[in-house]
Amino acid sequence: MPVAIAIRNLSKLYPGAFELRTLLGRAPRKRSVQALHDVSFDVNEGEIFGLIGPNGAGKTTLTKIIATLVQPTTGSVTVKGFDSVAQSAELRKLIGLAAAEERSFYWRLTVEQNLMFFARLYSIPARKAQAAIGELLALLDLEESARKRFGELSTGNKQRMAIARALLNKPPILLLDEPTRSLDPLAAARMRSFIGSLATGDPPVTILLTSHNLNEIEELCERIAIISHGRIRELDTPDRIRALHKARERVRLVLEGISIEHAVNVVAAALADAEVSQEGSRTVVSFWREVGDERLDHGLRAILANGTRVVACETQRASLLEVLEAYEREEAINRNGRP
Amino acid sequence: MKSIVALLGRMRAFVIRDFQLAISYRLAFFLRVLTILIVVTIAYYVSRIFLGKAELFTNWHDPLAAWITGLAVLNYFMTNFSSLANAIRSEQLQGTLESVLMTPISVPGLIVASSTLDFIEATLYSSLYLVFGAVFFGVTYQGSYLLAFLILILTTMVFASLGILSASFAMVFKKGDPIAVLLGTGTAVFSGVFFPPQLLPSAMRAVSRILPATYGLAAIRGVLIENNGLNEARGPIITLLSFLVVLLPVSLWVFSRAVRRAKREGSLIQY
Repeated sequence: MPVAIAIRNLSKLYPGAFELRTLLGRAPRKRSVQALHDVSFDVNEGEIFGLIGPNGAGKTTLTKIIATLVQPTTGSVTVKGFDSVAQSAELRKLIGLAAAEERSFYWRLTVEQNLMFFARLYSIPARKAQAAIGELLALLDLEESARKRFGELSTGNKQRMAIARALLNKPPILLLDEPTRSLDPLAAARMRSFIGSLATGDPPVTILLTSHNLNEIEELCERIAIISHGRIRELDTPDRIRALHKARERVRLVLEGISIEHAVNVVAAALADAEVSQEGSRTVVSFWREVGDERLDHGLRAILANGTRVVACETQRASLLEVLEAYEREEAINRNGRP
Repeated sequence: MKSIVALLGRMRAFVIRDFQLAISYRLAFFLRVLTILIVVTIAYYVSRIFLGKAELFTNWHDPLAAWITGLAVLNYFMTNFSSLANAIRSEQLQGTLESVLMTPISVPGLIVASSTLDFIEATLYSSLYLVFGAVFFGVTYQGSYLLAFLILILTTMVFASLGILSASFAMVFKKGDPIAVLLGTGTAVFSGVFFPPQLLPSAMRAVSRILPATYGLAAIRGVLIENNGLNEARGPIITLLSFLVVLLPVSLWVFSRAVRRAKREGSLIQY
């Protein structure tokens, strides 16, 4: 599959600002920050690629380097063959960026005026621009707000505006930062469906999606990269990444014909740290286990031996959040010797 | 050619945007026009005190003509200078710089394009000083308007070079631009806007001699008030050209370094 974005050995060091106090031998107040370390990966054409990581992991720096807003210290980013430093103007024509920053519009201008301004900066002829704006406003349910000032829009509509602007010049590559952060659940679902349709459209749009909403990443992305402290820690499909770290799973047994007090006694011997609770007429036993260990077997035998009926047995897979947390713990241990 | 057309298109985009923003504050325009009328009126009555007492000083026979010319030109120079200097800063503060820079506009293109309406406004407001002086208080201008305009453009280019230097400073250090402070105060006090620089003590006169506005203002006044031609204006024009030859390449070099540094440090989009 052709590569849309190629990132090679990318590192970014934000140098500390020059401070007079350093001439006096004092420590600088603002130290340099290594935001990215030797990051390399490709995003294929038409792919929705997810980038997840905690705050300060380097997601924004990476996105801004791809968008040519920040220059890398070493390494390179090429988008459809255009280098982010040497050919930044050509590269920007291929990219739309929708960041979750409300202040990136002119609040006293209307929705239409804002979009028309950016269309003019893209040198889109007036008629074409008007048609594209009308189409985008309809697609993003913003038609009724076309003549409203940007400042009068709801937070969710402001977010939609960022996506409308990013799509104005029909770029083949889209960088989306938290695209559903301020949307209600229904609107978020529609937005996810819209994003998905972009990647399968004709021509397909390549999307680099950064989000804290891991369910959204799982739902939309074919591949994801986990970034932590400026390093790519894992890069694969969501399923494979989960599988790599499925060391533990939560088991939930729903029982009938046993009281909560009796259940506590029955499972106490087999499952030392199980939690027992009541849900209506049923008793629920929940416990963690290492995948493939014997705790489920022991627990079930003890319960069944008591003549209790097992109504349901559910296991909860490790979520991307748990994977992410595992990396953070590992990083903390490497850094401080303790989690 | 293609890049010039693209730049003109972007200048148009910024002019429309700034005009739309300006008319969302409708009263501001009328207040500005009223302020100019009030300043010219005050200048007229104060000038009555000195009328006929400033014969010793070239260009100051009619103090009102000298003041309103000085105020018009000062307004023009300083608006254009500060517009260039603040172009990046104002987008940074609004939070729109990142989204503007995501379009195919270059940083120099952004600075020029976002200053366009300020240039147009400065031309309008500066003209109003002269028009109000002529219409309401009988000030007459003579000489070649074209020559005066060319000197104005030349001096503006010198100020634009200083504006680019100032923009470079603001881009890297974010605020506290010393060029703007020194140039603004220096031009108002030492370049002859309000009184002839010859009245200054000799040490201060040296300051007036290093300010480009002193030459621009003297030459424009000479043309409009004294009916000077190209011959008489040649001295100031050569001095202004010398300023331009030195300042323009230096400012463009400093600016390119500042842009590179800001992009490397990631500080261009911070404020």
